Amino acid sequence: MSERTIQVDYVARVEGEGALQVRLRDEEIEEIQLRLFEPPRFFEALLSGRRYQEAPDITARICGICPVAYQMSACHAMEKALGIRVEGPIRDLRRLLYCGEWIESHALHIHLLHLPDFLGVPDAIALAKEHPAEVKRGLELKRLGNDLMRALGGREIHPINVRVGGFYRVPSREELAPLLPRLEQAREQAEAMVRFLSGLRFPDIQEEYEFVALRHSEEYPMNEGEVVSSTGIRIPQERFEEVFEEVQVPYSNAYHVVHKGRGSYLTGPMARYALNHDRLTPRARALASEIGLGPQERNPYRSILIRAIEVLFACEESLAILRRYRPPAAAWVEPPHAIAPEVTCAITEAPRGMLYHRYRIAPDGTIVNARIVAPTTQNQKRIEDDLTQVVRAGLHLPDAELAASCERAIRNHDPCISCATHFLDFRVERLPR
Amino acid sequence: MTRTASVLVVGVGNEHRGDDALGLEVARALVRRVPSSVKVVEAGDDLTELLDLWQDVDLAIVVDTFRSEGTAGEIVRWAGPALDNIASQGPLSTHGLSLPQALALGRTLEKVPRQLVVYGIRGSDFRIGRPIAAEVARALPEVEQRILTEISNLGRDVHLLEGGR
Repeated sequence: MSERTIQVDYVARVEGEGALQVRLRDEEIEEIQLRLFEPPRFFEALLSGRRYQEAPDITARICGICPVAYQMSACHAMEKALGIRVEGPIRDLRRLLYCGEWIESHALHIHLLHLPDFLGVPDAIALAKEHPAEVKRGLELKRLGNDLMRALGGREIHPINVRVGGFYRVPSREELAPLLPRLEQAREQAEAMVRFLSGLRFPDIQEEYEFVALRHSEEYPMNEGEVVSSTGIRIPQERFEEVFEEVQVPYSNAYHVVHKGRGSYLTGPMARYALNHDRLTPRARALASEIGLGPQERNPYRSILIRAIEVLFACEESLAILRRYRPPAAAWVEPPHAIAPEVTCAITEAPRGMLYHRYRIAPDGTIVNARIVAPTTQNQKRIEDDLTQVVRAGLHLPDAELAASCERAIRNHDPCISCATHFLDFRVERLPR
Repeated sequence: MTRTASVLVVGVGNEHRGDDALGLEVARALVRRVPSSVKVVEAGDDLTELLDLWQDVDLAIVVDTFRSEGTAGEIVRWAGPALDNIASQGPLSTHGLSLPQALALGRTLEKVPRQLVVYGIRGSDFRIGRPIAAEVARALPEVEQRILTEISNLGRDVHLLEGGR
């Protein structure tokens, strides 16, 4: 009887801490477990007893890569409870802030985390030796995303200028003016990036995803929209928990979220694109078509192209917002004193997908309890399903190669397993019958 | 022509990870004591920022805590060829770039300062929510003083250099 266990430490280029265990018995997959150690539930507990105004800043701390998403979902949820709507320039500035986060997050993932997989190099440093111009361009795009976040949020990591109802302070046109020429340049850079990436070689696979994303009547979705899916779901955000449920799995600190009675689904850039392709700017849509992206894409490796298209979109959207921007009379909509519904929720589109916040609020404005469902929690089950395909197709491979294939499959979905110790522990067990 | 040397000090760390916060504390202590022309920055765990900060800088001093076998609180200075020692060590971080990665990437893309000095303080406890250990915190005044000396020496060198032109 033979038994082999292979462990690879320090699987890099995933945000956060996790482990993957693959158990094979007689070359059949017995179990695939993607374990996430991140404890977001602590944040939910932290929120109870706090004032509703504190939620945007407390939840922003959940993630250093997508703090804006947490602030936006929290703000929208609270504003629904307060019965206020944020319109005009303040709404625009929020969208601009979100564009900054998308550009920053996608540019980071594309160039430093994902691209090495396609060019046969171990990391971004090796990549920079072979493709310095592309890496420089990627870092410049990332920098621009950071600068947008800094201009509106006060700083790029954990912005401090966002509040329920709007911002503490809004910038003048003059303050934002230097960003215009940079965004014009970034739009060209983004196009060049998309074209460069379209020349990569992609493994030829197609997955059967159920895509789930927001959809808005006019815009490519960020802050608002209904929840729609490629299987025909179309529901208001308030019904999210009726259709999707969190289930506990014993091996992971993160919950799995499944479509009730159906199973795993995918949220994030591929889902957004598939369900909102017609809402992209004409230029982004035309370029997507030029590089051979159809109205939807089911090859997870090609998600790098969709992220790049979304960077181009975010640059164009930012330009449009900056050009029409006139500072509002007030930086925020003053919240009324009365809190109407006890339970409120909101979903916005984080770079990695839908971020759901639900709060129960007491009449005096105290948060009674909170529930936060992050995009990676929703995608975790689906990533395991992708891994099942990868392992099944790669059973003949030596363990090290199989491990590398699994890492790539995980990175396709840019999971953000936010935490502070950085490694994915990888283990393949081959057991006899 | 005379010009003022551009000097940058970067304190690197995570506020909430025990000894890792010391780099930030050094930056906070120095910001009150350096000449106004010296830029002092606190940096978190995505150090791609360093590549931009380093552009067109004459001297950059980076302070960070590190982990290795040895006495906690020990101060190590790396400059010149010795920087290779940190550039090649340790596993890779995943949230953006670590200091060794930023250095390696900066060198590859030619985005490094004219002169780079790294002060490392050996830490021992990087657990979330821990305070900086006393034996590590004790290194702060010495690191602070050495960096101030480094900056004032550069000022003298620059002055001499300019006088000779």
